[in-house]
Amino acid sequence: MSIFSLKNPVAIKRWQRFKRSRRGYYSAWLLLLLTALSLGAELLANNRALLVHYQGQWYFPTYSNVYSGEQFGLDYAYEVNYRDLQQHFADQDEGNWLLMPPIPFGPLETDLIAGDFPPHASSLATQHYLGTDTSGRDVAARLLYGFRIAILFSIALLILNYGVGVAIGCLMGFWGGAFDLIFQRIIEIWSNVPFLYVIMIVASIITPGFWTLLLIMAFFGWTGMTWYMRTATYKEVARDYVMAARALGASGSRIMFRHILPNSVSTLVTFVPFSVASGITSLTVLDFLGFGLPPPTPSWGELLKQGTENLESLWIVGSVVVAMTVILMLVAYVGEAIRDAYDPKQFSYYE
Amino acid sequence: MSKIVASLLLVLFANLCALPAQAGLPEALPADLQWQTNNEDPIFASPDAKRGGRFRTFVTTFPLTLRLVGPDSNGSFASFLRANDLGLVGLHPNTLKPIPELATHWAFGDDGHSIFYRLDPDARWSDGEPVTADDYVFALSFMRSKFILAPWYNNYFSEVITEVVKYDDHTIGIAGSVAKPADEMLFDLSLSPVPEHFHILDENWVRDYNWRIEPNTGPYQISEVRKGKYVEFTRKADWWANNKRYFQYRFNPEHIRVKVIRDINVAYQYFRKGELDNFPLLMPRFWHKKAQGEIYEQGYVAKIKFYNDVPQPINGLFLNEDAPPLDDKRVRYAIAHALNVQKVIDTVLRGDYERMQTANEGYGDYTNTHIRARRFDLAKADQYLTEAGWSERGPDGIRVKDGQRLSIRVTYYSSGHNDRLVILAQEARKAGIELALNLLDGSTAFKQILENKHQAAWMAWSGAGLSPRYWEFYHSDNAHKPQTNNVTNTDNPQMDEKIMAYRTATDKVTRVKLAHELEQMVYEQGSYIPTFKVPYTREAYWRWLKLPAFHGTRTSDQLFSPMGGSGGLFWIDEAAKRQIEDLKDKGQPLPPAPLLEIDETWKLN
Repeated sequence: MSIFSLKNPVAIKRWQRFKRSRRGYYSAWLLLLLTALSLGAELLANNRALLVHYQGQWYFPTYSNVYSGEQFGLDYAYEVNYRDLQQHFADQDEGNWLLMPPIPFGPLETDLIAGDFPPHASSLATQHYLGTDTSGRDVAARLLYGFRIAILFSIALLILNYGVGVAIGCLMGFWGGAFDLIFQRIIEIWSNVPFLYVIMIVASIITPGFWTLLLIMAFFGWTGMTWYMRTATYKEVARDYVMAARALGASGSRIMFRHILPNSVSTLVTFVPFSVASGITSLTVLDFLGFGLPPPTPSWGELLKQGTENLESLWIVGSVVVAMTVILMLVAYVGEAIRDAYDPKQFSYYE
Repeated sequence: MSKIVASLLLVLFANLCALPAQAGLPEALPADLQWQTNNEDPIFASPDAKRGGRFRTFVTTFPLTLRLVGPDSNGSFASFLRANDLGLVGLHPNTLKPIPELATHWAFGDDGHSIFYRLDPDARWSDGEPVTADDYVFALSFMRSKFILAPWYNNYFSEVITEVVKYDDHTIGIAGSVAKPADEMLFDLSLSPVPEHFHILDENWVRDYNWRIEPNTGPYQISEVRKGKYVEFTRKADWWANNKRYFQYRFNPEHIRVKVIRDINVAYQYFRKGELDNFPLLMPRFWHKKAQGEIYEQGYVAKIKFYNDVPQPINGLFLNEDAPPLDDKRVRYAIAHALNVQKVIDTVLRGDYERMQTANEGYGDYTNTHIRARRFDLAKADQYLTEAGWSERGPDGIRVKDGQRLSIRVTYYSSGHNDRLVILAQEARKAGIELALNLLDGSTAFKQILENKHQAAWMAWSGAGLSPRYWEFYHSDNAHKPQTNNVTNTDNPQMDEKIMAYRTATDKVTRVKLAHELEQMVYEQGSYIPTFKVPYTREAYWRWLKLPAFHGTRTSDQLFSPMGGSGGLFWIDEAAKRQIEDLKDKGQPLPPAPLLEIDETWKLN
């Protein structure tokens, strides 16, 4: 099965080769599935019901405005607690009912179990399948939402880094000369700025949000890509087809976008999965150190920190370590498969 | 600091004599002084104490300097240095009366703000030099010097202590700027001497003296510094105060090693292995979850919970009245009613902490015990907010008024408080108030708060002294300007009037009455919401550490503090140490096992 009809024979060959590495192929699907699931996290882990059937009316609270308790016949004006409401409907037995998501807890919601102090161990009875953290928030819910933030963050970071890095790298290779020399020096200086310290300084002055953090990291992250693009461009510019295009009067931008970039894209593509992995790790590291996203944002790093501080509550550290290992492994397998697909050598002979 | 004082300093160096007495202190010692001392109070140490051994404790960061003043000198390590820097008089930890330290007698001038001290002729610096009146005169010029780069000290020793006069080698007079009750002034003006023979004050002082070990008057002196690793103190071989009434049987370990362990969880592992002698267990997480296992069950390590009676830190949420919508008293009241402090205590704090009722608790008679903090009450919060025009709720359940959401930014600086604030924020949503949590690192948070750029500050001011302080927190002199402690920007003329009356009153009855009225006004103002208090200390310790039978004193905030006013009461039993290590190797218990002691001697009911 092919999801998109490839016309380019080289691309078809690569796609087939990618599929042939089973491990990478299935990892890619699994990763896509997990990402898709996390995009719909509200439907999987939420303290709001998926649907409520009350007095003949249907309600879909997941993405709607807040419904107060009064709207469902309870006596308070703040947001209704759907888990209690479910119980209430069951006690009333008037034909009202509601359906909760598989994990009936939101990522920010503290659920405190009477007679026990958080962190609560995992149990089926309380529906905390992976237990709770030190404030009584559901670990599974926080993992899921934390994954969504991490993956979106690293994809956005990737786009920014590659956008800037590829543009500057290409120009360095295409124009060469003084532009190339000056930018090489700038990049050498830039990549020696200890970016973790910069983040720490910024985080101590302001509380970094998602976009601030993204911009800071992109600010220091674009340099890595330039070297590869610069060499790839240099290599391609010297080729005959570029000369031919020039002779036919093609403009610089046309040569870059129509000829050079498609021919050097293989360099880019092989790096993508590893960049995604490093984006996730960077965010986790920063959250772990407390310089990342502000609380109460669900994040893996923050869970990891709690876990290492409370090693006796193994379910916290266990969940997050397993989740991280699985995701990073999947990404690595995909990366491996892509690398193999783009490798012109089918077999390596060792003599 | 002004040039006048600087040039005065030069004069001082030239003449090595006291400042010429201005109005304030008489030129000659008044003849009719009533000299007082205190050798009647019970001693608060155990005669069974044994000298010797090495006490091992930790700090989380290595000190940036060994200076007592100047840049970077106010870190967690400073308390060790200050504890060895005795003052003129001390405070008896149980009776709260003054006791002699470097002064044997004291007398009050009749103008209400001067005190005369008779120095103990035995007092010696650690290098053997006698402590004389000149060291006190020098202390004042030292603290006023611009070379020490310490504006707070410059200010305090100019504004609060105005003059120090030497009458002879062992008699001095000190004048304060405002009249106060005698017992308070005694401590406020009890300055520590500075060794004149050690310091050369010039523009390089801060750099040159950064790692130099200053002679001190206390029982210990630094004997070894391993940068980044540890600092070791050794007890002076022949400390001058060994046999003084209130110093005997105290400060027993021969060595104190202060190790740097950057992470408290790692530090706990050191303790478990027996490489630290004691461990503070105030944090609920440690007391309930971590402090378990074989070392406790076998009785090698004991746990103790000791109630004390000390001024409580002013802990809570401070609302900035200059930041709308907090300028509306009703909104402030509503926030107080929307904070479910009790739920936090009952859940993440495991019922360990208690609700603080009002700003100043633990000041004896001064504490107004009739005030009750506003309780979590959604109906009241709703009523106040509706009155204030915040009756509508937006699509997310948060109240809106003229297109503004009722969102309050809470600035705080301790990530350990995340879970407390998360619960408060979740509960406040029920009242339609959003608490946006803004965690910053300590210095940035203080900067923001002291520049009045905060809306609500989640913080604590240390409680100190013998009576509550109001001027710095609530007087309009300190409102609407940066770098003051009036972080709520309270600006209330009636309060100002009372605060000034309180500051100038010198008899205790009036001051207590005013303090109670002021405390009530703070409550009415509603810009400070009290949260928690912890009226005890909790520790775990290896049982080779021995405590006196009474465990600690009324004001012991730690039982194993090796130095300081009520510290140095424990001792190390080397024989017991060998025995415990031996039992541990064999896996046999040490009865009684496990050992948990709860001492409620000083518990307030």
